[in-house]
Amino acid sequence: MLSCKELVANSSDYLDNRLSLSRGLEVRLHLTLCVNCRRFIRQMKISQAVYRKMQLEKAEDLDGLAQKLADAQRSSD
Amino acid sequence: MEYPEDSALLSRLLSGEESAYRELVATYQGSMRAVALAIVGSRNSDEVVQDAWLAVVNSLKGFQGRSSLKTWLLTITANTAKTRLKHNRREVLMDDLPGPHGTIGDDRFADDGHWLMAPHEWHQDTPEAMLLQNELRECLEKTLGSLSNMQSSVLVLRERQGLELEEICNLLDISLSNVRVLLHRARLKMFATLEHFEETGQC
Ligand SMILES: [Zn+2]
Repeated sequence: MLSCKELVANSSDYLDNRLSLSRGLEVRLHLTLCVNCRRFIRQMKISQAVYRKMQLEKAEDLDGLAQKLADAQRSSD
Repeated sequence: MEYPEDSALLSRLLSGEESAYRELVATYQGSMRAVALAIVGSRNSDEVVQDAWLAVVNSLKGFQGRSSLKTWLLTITANTAKTRLKHNRREVLMDDLPGPHGTIGDDRFADDGHWLMAPHEWHQDTPEAMLLQNELRECLEKTLGSLSNMQSSVLVLRERQGLELEEICNLLDISLSNVRVLLHRARLKMFATLEHFEETGQC
């Protein structure tokens, strides 16, 4: 059976659906039996969600850029 | 047009509607910057993104809709960046700096591969509740700041823009296995910071 360490090593591929059929089965089997790894995967998903919701853009004038591009488009006609 | 969700936006863009450009910029600026950053580095990335936007506007009329708008925009950005780069071939640094709170390393496991220090239950487990804590947000930003350009770009393109790994390889000219390794390490660093904060209440 897959060890917890191996499960962690495969965790990103699991989250991205990149595992081979047989490895995918091993991972799912491990997860049904191991509460620690279930928690780990759940927390990995939380941490992905946190990252997605973080405001990363540095404060910059996106509306100004949009206006400049719209102007450029209109003047190219 | 094979991408119907793009075509409404496209016709508004072509008629020069400003709100359409606001939508476009808000949706893709972050990913375009990520592509530029990965290829030319931080010193030239802003300029590359600017040039890419102008190239986008100039070629909008010729856009055939054979790819999604997203793929088209990011390809233009990658090409603009590669033109800028021309001769100096960069190497992908795989041994990035350690994150401020480490990773999930070998020391977390016993010799037989079982957890030695298994993850604990977290106090907060919705992203919304977590991000209300200013100190945690700053802490995560510090961790993101420790990522290499390539690593943070891969993370943006995958997690925020939802690109397939193959698309990321093609845009950034790196191998699939490099993309997977970069992504995995970046995620574990973020995980380690969240876990550290949950356990200690500080950065
Ligand atoms: Zn386990």
